[in-house]
Amino acid sequence: MASREAVRAAVRQVRPILSADKGEARKRVLNLYKAWYRQIPYVVMDYDIPKSVEQCREKLRQEFEKHRHVTDIRVIDMLVVKGQMELKETVEIWKQKGHIMNYFKETEEPKPTDFLSKFLAGHE
Amino acid sequence: MAALVQGVRGALAISSCLLRATLPRATIVGLQQKGIHTNLCGVTPSAALLRSRNESKVAAQRWMASNPGVKPTVVEIKDRVLRVCKDFDKVHAEKLTLETHFLNDLGLDSLDHVEIIMAMEDEFGFEIPDGDAERLLRPADIVRYVADKEDIYE
Repeated sequence: MASREAVRAAVRQVRPILSADKGEARKRVLNLYKAWYRQIPYVVMDYDIPKSVEQCREKLRQEFEKHRHVTDIRVIDMLVVKGQMELKETVEIWKQKGHIMNYFKETEEPKPTDFLSKFLAGHE
Repeated sequence: MAALVQGVRGALAISSCLLRATLPRATIVGLQQKGIHTNLCGVTPSAALLRSRNESKVAAQRWMASNPGVKPTVVEIKDRVLRVCKDFDKVHAEKLTLETHFLNDLGLDSLDHVEIIMAMEDEFGFEIPDGDAERLLRPADIVRYVADKEDIYE
């Protein structure tokens, strides 16, 4: 009984990655969003991608919405760090057009719906 | 006829290349979004937040550059704030007054709020730090904040 309380107390105080509380994590996320938002017109110009600035901003919003449900502060910090790494690579033009266009690529193959596609895929 | 069109397009392309070499980046981006390079990026036909905002940004910059000493009045600030908010495509114009809360009344989320604050920064030409930005939750707050920053007294 006592050991369970001790374990629970120990688990609650994990060493933070960057932010100590939710407010700080929230500020980091919003700053990252702002930095990306401001950078997008220059991305469209430098990489000459066939997308408009609005489409890129929509994609930015989608990427942030993907992780909207996350509540663990360390996970949020890690995501922010990854976002900042991507931003740095994009700003310094270490990426290339293909890397930027990868953001717009679907990561899942759509499941086959009609008979022939299901047959060719193997009747899953 | 076709040759004439191609000639015009060629002239536009040449002039835009020259523009790229001479003008600073921000204006190039503004001009580009106004549609000189419509054949390069797939510009959506719907009324774009960016296009109207950039037009107001370019107009505001020109105005401020020519008259650095003239300060806007509180009424002008109110107009500009409301105009920027109306241009935001997620805001319904009929519900927008000076006292509508962005998050509660207009149903925007925090990322939309960040976008609105950025639009205000572009409109008025000065940076709004995060600590202040998270307190500016209604257009009236923004008007008061800008008036304080620009030292305009009613």
